[in-house]
Amino acid sequence: MRTALSVGIVAVFLAATVVLGLLAARGRSRRGLAEWSVGGRSMGVALTWVLMAGETYTSFSYLGAAGWSYTHGISALYVVAYLAVGMAVSYVVAPMLWTYARTHDLVNVSDMVAHRFRAPWLGAVVAVLATVCMLPYIQLQITGLGVVVTSVSYGAIGLGLAYLIAFVVSEAFVLASGLRGSAWVSVLKDSLVVLTFGIVLVYVPVHFFGGFGGLLHKLTAQKAAWLTLPGPHTGVYGLGWFISTAVLNGVVYPIFPTQVAGFLGARGPQVLRRNAIILPFYQVLLFVPVLLGMAALFVVPNLGDSDLALFAMIRDALPAPVLGLVGAAGALSSIVPMAVFMLTIGTLWSRSVLGLHPRTAPRQRQLAQLVTLLAGALALGMTYVFPNVLVRLSVVSYEGIAQLLPIVLIALLWRRMSIAGAVAGLAVGLALVSIMVFGGHDPWHGVNAGLIALAANIAVTVAVSALRPANAPDDRLASLTEEPDHIEETALPQ
Amino acid sequence: MSGNRKSLLWLLGPPTLYLVALPFTNRLTPVLFGVPFSVLWLLFATLCTPLFGWLAARRDPLWTKHRRDRS
Repeated sequence: MRTALSVGIVAVFLAATVVLGLLAARGRSRRGLAEWSVGGRSMGVALTWVLMAGETYTSFSYLGAAGWSYTHGISALYVVAYLAVGMAVSYVVAPMLWTYARTHDLVNVSDMVAHRFRAPWLGAVVAVLATVCMLPYIQLQITGLGVVVTSVSYGAIGLGLAYLIAFVVSEAFVLASGLRGSAWVSVLKDSLVVLTFGIVLVYVPVHFFGGFGGLLHKLTAQKAAWLTLPGPHTGVYGLGWFISTAVLNGVVYPIFPTQVAGFLGARGPQVLRRNAIILPFYQVLLFVPVLLGMAALFVVPNLGDSDLALFAMIRDALPAPVLGLVGAAGALSSIVPMAVFMLTIGTLWSRSVLGLHPRTAPRQRQLAQLVTLLAGALALGMTYVFPNVLVRLSVVSYEGIAQLLPIVLIALLWRRMSIAGAVAGLAVGLALVSIMVFGGHDPWHGVNAGLIALAANIAVTVAVSALRPANAPDDRLASLTEEPDHIEETALPQ
Repeated sequence: MSGNRKSLLWLLGPPTLYLVALPFTNRLTPVLFGVPFSVLWLLFATLCTPLFGWLAARRDPLWTKHRRDRS
């Protein structure tokens, strides 16, 4: 009975997700890549806000953050720190990227690189690199949903079936309604996340510890090591790691391809500035799983898989309908980011790889949808067949994408940056990050390997560009201090 | 030219609170309201972040230009 109840609630919300996503496509143009990929660049403050919140609040927040704090303590809050840094950088960078993309009708980072350097092949290289780095994120969401659904069904639904559900639901709405559908599903998801975190935040301390005071007192008395850096285990997640990771992830945040997709969906640059100011409020919610992860140390000690910390703790304590609601929130927290990752990969490939040929160019939207389907299918297949390949790759994902910072961002601000400089820097950055991460040297002397590789990347880019400078014309550069008047209202040529 | 954007220096606020101050705030005591100082500080920084954004925007010519256009 309790299984039917909690699974039934999750099923209702998943069905509602598909319906809501499909409804979002009503009345919108069925032609044109920009309408599907970036919502026709028409989303206001509220929709952009929920979409951005939806993207940053992934299954990591539900499973990973609690699991991390269960094992390593408050270093899990590096996420809050890097998002705050990222929002500050976004205030400056996001409107600039939006204006450049809007002026030249560009839909993602690979597209922008190809335009800046007048080199379609370089856009294709960026698209392929970004895809390799982003596929593991899709798998993380698939396996995250698997853990949630298996937990809330009390084991009745196996992992294999849960993975398939994640794939079907997210593809169903993203293929039909693109970024706009993801934003509308985020509305449902964020409402559920706020509601369920509120419930769990009150219920867990009261049920297990007699209130907040009891939980906090027990934590400070018995688990003090978890409450400061570097945490209970010697070494890795100390001050140097926390600071360097927050800096790296923060500066890279505004050029991460899925974030850029969200930026470009906005109606105008002011929407993005407004969002950069108010979105950090949402990060307060991230303290909840971190606190609950540490609470789980007392309730379910010695877990083999720390990602289970939150659900193992609440599974038998919460009434089945409430567990169903928490499960639905957790499931949607996987599905929304997964959909945006697939859509972004689809957009990168359709514009910068497959749609380059004059014969395929008119069909870019269909190509994007096809690649979106294939990317999801590939991640699903690998989850079943070679689960460890993408897991290994995922450790280098963010640090790999970080190496795109000079070619995407610095290039738009520095006239003399040349293709030779950009490619040399990117190659050095990628090589260095791979050697350090796969060689087991991340962090290196307590510093995030991605940041070290990015420093080398920028140094090489600058040195080579100084030796072989370019002279980019004005229309290939962006401005931090100027914005054309009323750019939102001017129609793009079709 | 939209004038200078010096007020954007306020955006250094969040990294200062989270990162520069961290070596001094990474400690259990004083415990206030039962919450260890390390956690309380990060919570404080999170609540301050939108405030720094607002301070930066308030005198940012690009922000105020859009506000003028709308009124």
